[in-house]
Amino acid sequence: MPDYQYEEKEDFSGRKVKVLGPTYEEGKPEEREDWRSKLGGREDALRYIRTAMRYWYSKEWYGSEKRKQEA
Amino acid sequence: MPEEKPKSIDRATLELIEKAGKDKINTVFSRADELKPCPIGVEESCCKICAMGPCRLPRPKKGEGKERVGVCGATIETIVARNFARKVAAGAAAHSDHAREVVQTFIKTARGEAQGFSIKDEMKLVAVALDFGIDVEGRETGDIARELGEKALNEFGKQEGELVYLGKAPLKRQELWRKLGTAPRGIDREIVEIMHRTHMGVDQDYRHLLQQASRAAIADGWGGSMISTDLQDIMFGTPVPVLGSINLGVLKEDNVNVVVHGHEPLLPELLVVASRDPEIRRLTESAGAKGINLAGMCCSANEVLMRHGIPCAGNFLQQELALVTGAVELMTVDVQCQMQGLKDVAECFHTRLITTSDRAMIEGAVHIEFHPEHGLDTAKRILKMAIENYPNRRHAVYIPDQRQDMVAGFSHETINYLLGGLFRASYRPLNDNIMNGRIRGVAGVVGCNNVRTTHDSAHIAMIKELIRNDVLVLTTGCAAMACGKEGLLTPEAAKLYAGSGLAEVCEAVGIPPVLHLGSCVDNSRILMAATAMVKEGGLGDDLSDLPAAGAAPEWMSEKAISIGQYFVASGIFTVFGTTWPTTGSEKVTRHLFEEYEELYKGMWAFEPDPLQAAQLMIRHIDKKRKALGIDKARDRVLFDMAMRRALD
Repeated sequence: MPDYQYEEKEDFSGRKVKVLGPTYEEGKPEEREDWRSKLGGREDALRYIRTAMRYWYSKEWYGSEKRKQEA
Repeated sequence: MPEEKPKSIDRATLELIEKAGKDKINTVFSRADELKPCPIGVEESCCKICAMGPCRLPRPKKGEGKERVGVCGATIETIVARNFARKVAAGAAAHSDHAREVVQTFIKTARGEAQGFSIKDEMKLVAVALDFGIDVEGRETGDIARELGEKALNEFGKQEGELVYLGKAPLKRQELWRKLGTAPRGIDREIVEIMHRTHMGVDQDYRHLLQQASRAAIADGWGGSMISTDLQDIMFGTPVPVLGSINLGVLKEDNVNVVVHGHEPLLPELLVVASRDPEIRRLTESAGAKGINLAGMCCSANEVLMRHGIPCAGNFLQQELALVTGAVELMTVDVQCQMQGLKDVAECFHTRLITTSDRAMIEGAVHIEFHPEHGLDTAKRILKMAIENYPNRRHAVYIPDQRQDMVAGFSHETINYLLGGLFRASYRPLNDNIMNGRIRGVAGVVGCNNVRTTHDSAHIAMIKELIRNDVLVLTTGCAAMACGKEGLLTPEAAKLYAGSGLAEVCEAVGIPPVLHLGSCVDNSRILMAATAMVKEGGLGDDLSDLPAAGAAPEWMSEKAISIGQYFVASGIFTVFGTTWPTTGSEKVTRHLFEEYEELYKGMWAFEPDPLQAAQLMIRHIDKKRKALGIDKARDRVLFDMAMRRALD
């Protein structure tokens, strides 16, 4: 269990409740989050390239460029 | 007596200008007071390309209808267009020679011959390899990188065909470039051809000269600059959001301060690595300092900020002022935008000024040449020099108490990810919010500082006006650093400065209203982000259809002209401030400002007032919204199957 810090406050009915307020992560991140690290190996990367970056790497992507009726 | 224009809107800058004045140290600010711009040169009405001149052809006085021609008969149109084209050539050459250095280092890295470098971003390697038609299945990373490096190098010397990266542009834009004869064949070829055509007695039709200027500029934006960005990303990592800080207050009195200044990130990357070396840390402690404080200046700063969060000391006009603090042990400079005046300022203190590129020396500076084969050794040698210099401080240190946090690292790939996550990364949310009007449009505000405009003032006034009007701003270079100092590169800025629609989107995604995309070669990231918007659909078929505009309100260098020209030739309306280099010829100016809209569907404009310039951009964005039919709220229509089939 993470070291949550609880704070006692009153709810709308005046009842005492514990809230997780002080646990809110304050300040600056110590490390940046690199979303690319969530991808595994080459296969994952290729799959991502062909879907997320479909604008250039998917043969099935048409976007607005190949419509019969121009924008 | 007219009131004197303030020199900067930045307090740290003003404090150090005052200190330099008291210490009788000349800086760009004092030199600009003494040296006014040449009235003939400012309108580019001077020709000095042959020894029969120079021919000065200023505008005639009112009422004089005299035709202006040089000794050879060259018209003022030819002269102004030649001067403009040569600026484009110089700018494109600067970005592209930077790229060449990167490619050569990349090849050495792939061969395992570059000390301290490696392939850090395999995903980008694979993506760029696919761009170049390289088979990636079942191949080793180094093997793919070797082939990619060789193919990328070939882009410089190619004589026929087209640059590979043109294939990434929207299809309509590619067709237009081919139709207009502006699809570049090879990067070097287009630059050389400008130098040939502008030699005495060659190309003497201003429209034809400016066509080649477009071709060379496209070879910069969709060639040299894009290659730089991509191969740097592969070697050093594609940027992801990172917290950094900016302004002269990032210097530390009790640290060994090393400022990296210039543009190529090769040596700065290794200085970052070397600064964490145990031997360097031990030496630093034994010199009595608390640590090594690496800080960036100009675009070198943007490069190491984007990838490592290294603090930025400042932008172009602050380079000499960093030394005026008396706290800088050593400054490295490589290429572009480094003032020769640095040498004189360094001599007033203990600062060592080190030139590191074989292409750029400064008389009187120490030259330690960077070669990737022993790059890490060079980086350590430079840091040791800085440490040894720490006890030599001979003046009281004065570091202004000004620094600001900022978030940088918005590559176009990261924007794509932020808008949808790994599962559905997409530009769709951005396009949707433009179509529904929360975001009015997108602006690229980039470029330099210019001492003839109050430092940072035009960037900040323009960008605040744009975001106030719900225009999302993408920024690079010194413009990005101005935004950082003003606090515009934090998510909180959306609440403080942005219009309600833009603020809502920024809050939902968790991004600032102004996105820092990197250094000046990284303007290629803006091209890619804009292309993704086109290809995503719903905002037209070409970059010129987008509700988008570009600007460089404090431009100074020839690189900025090349950037502006490739923005315009890519279909983007682009406004420059401060001064404009074709005012000597009405016909040339009309061609760039009006006839280009017919040709390229994008055109130049000049407006020195940043608020007026922002309004020009907003009017253009509104014009494009109207053309797309998204200027008014429309009822949503639920399509039945028959209606859907009719779409196919």
